[in-house]
Amino acid sequence: MPRYAMVIDQRRCVGCMACVAACKTENNVPLGSFRTRVVEVVGGEFPNLRMELRSELCNHCENPPCAYNCPTGASYKESDGTVQIKRYKCVGCKACIAACPYEARYIDDKGVADKCSFCEHRIKQGKEPACVATCLGGSRIFGDLDDPNSPVSKILSEVGSSVLLKEAGTNPKVFYIRKLSKLE
Amino acid sequence: MEITITGANELTYPTLHIWNWMVSLYLFLGGVTAGLLIMSAIGNLRARNLRTEEKIDVIKAAMFAPFVLMAGMFFIWLDLERKLNSYWFFLSFSFTSPMSWGGWGLGLILPLSMLYALSVVPEEYRHWLKFDFLKNLSRWLNPHMTALARTVFALGIFLGIYTGILLSVFVARPLWNSSLLPVLFLTSALSTGAALIIIISKKKAAQLFFTKVDIWLISAEIIIIALFFLGHLTSTAPQRESVMPFFSYSHEYFVFGLSFILIAFFFPLALVMKLMHVQEEHHEQISGGSLFRMKLSAYMVLAGGFIIRLAWVYVGQISKLS
Repeated sequence: MPRYAMVIDQRRCVGCMACVAACKTENNVPLGSFRTRVVEVVGGEFPNLRMELRSELCNHCENPPCAYNCPTGASYKESDGTVQIKRYKCVGCKACIAACPYEARYIDDKGVADKCSFCEHRIKQGKEPACVATCLGGSRIFGDLDDPNSPVSKILSEVGSSVLLKEAGTNPKVFYIRKLSKLE
Repeated sequence: MEITITGANELTYPTLHIWNWMVSLYLFLGGVTAGLLIMSAIGNLRARNLRTEEKIDVIKAAMFAPFVLMAGMFFIWLDLERKLNSYWFFLSFSFTSPMSWGGWGLGLILPLSMLYALSVVPEEYRHWLKFDFLKNLSRWLNPHMTALARTVFALGIFLGIYTGILLSVFVARPLWNSSLLPVLFLTSALSTGAALIIIISKKKAAQLFFTKVDIWLISAEIIIIALFFLGHLTSTAPQRESVMPFFSYSHEYFVFGLSFILIAFFFPLALVMKLMHVQEEHHEQISGGSLFRMKLSAYMVLAGGFIIRLAWVYVGQISKLS
């Protein structure tokens, strides 16, 4: 089975938000909620400022606290390594929202604690997730970590990367290549 | 406009609205139930051979417990976004989910607390039961009261601890992620249970006994709260930051600062009032002023217990790892 992951190459992100729009359209994300977002983080002290554009989404963790805390098994780890939701089982208790350190979940208009699925329906058709397909700068890269020839494996072997909140121990599968950062 | 994302707002971070006062109330009422079950189980086991009139308060406490628990369960059910799906709690079990343990636990505790309540109804009061099958069930359960009291004692401890564990397992919420939280919630549960018995009690002996019990519990609670804050303030940056809303009086955190002041005011004051009460000379009946102070201190303990749940649930949602 594949082990899907995403790489966010922040060096190539222009903050066009096309990924956010594509995701909302593809997945009918309700008004006011987001499966992915582009966060603008400004660091440094004036006049030496620097802005980071960081795409955030569900990290499809190896150790997903949302799935561990789900009382009904609605959130679960799929065999391809992604974290998915059985919508019919969700009771809307919001334990998964409280458990997620990445704040990737929201309650949709049906009361389900929804989130990014890596566009599971598209992957099954052999397509890339909508945000990856639409990313004009090639900042979002998707593929199988266990396949050495996949785009994610290739770029991760070439360039240093990091994950968000490593200290949470969730082993995220969304990797970041940071602009101006030193190689690890 | 919707795709213009800046970060720190409710649209981007819906987690600012995960759980509200209904969850706090459920945690509080669950804790009170745990306290009532434990206290009444101890009381009924110790007073097995006493006359009904002498142990009427612990009997009343046992009968209150299932109703308080049902009220709590009603509020947690109200908080569910998909209420009609709640049967899934009992069609699945997740070992790693405290909420799953809690769902099954409540499914066990509620009927057992009802059976326990029926088992302690004395013969002379059974005519108060509306239906014949309840009278017959109460008569049949009465010889099994000891076993039921021991069971609900254990389940009461489970319930008291569970309300704290429910929050403390979330690594993502540094305020909650402490092993002291279940201990704090259990102590608070016992304390509020004792306080409620004092309020519903009419017997001087029971009032004085549970006031003495509550003195120890409030003292323990104050120490645990102090250790909780000390632990967080001397821990990692996210944990240190997570308790700061309690000490900030800016407009956005004022209500949390106020909750800390109320907690710091209610518990020591209730403790002093209870200490004064037990040191007084009491006649056959407790005098009006003394009774007022005793009941007021019990209400303060209940209010403090609720404020703790309310403040912890809200402030915990603000706290983040990053």
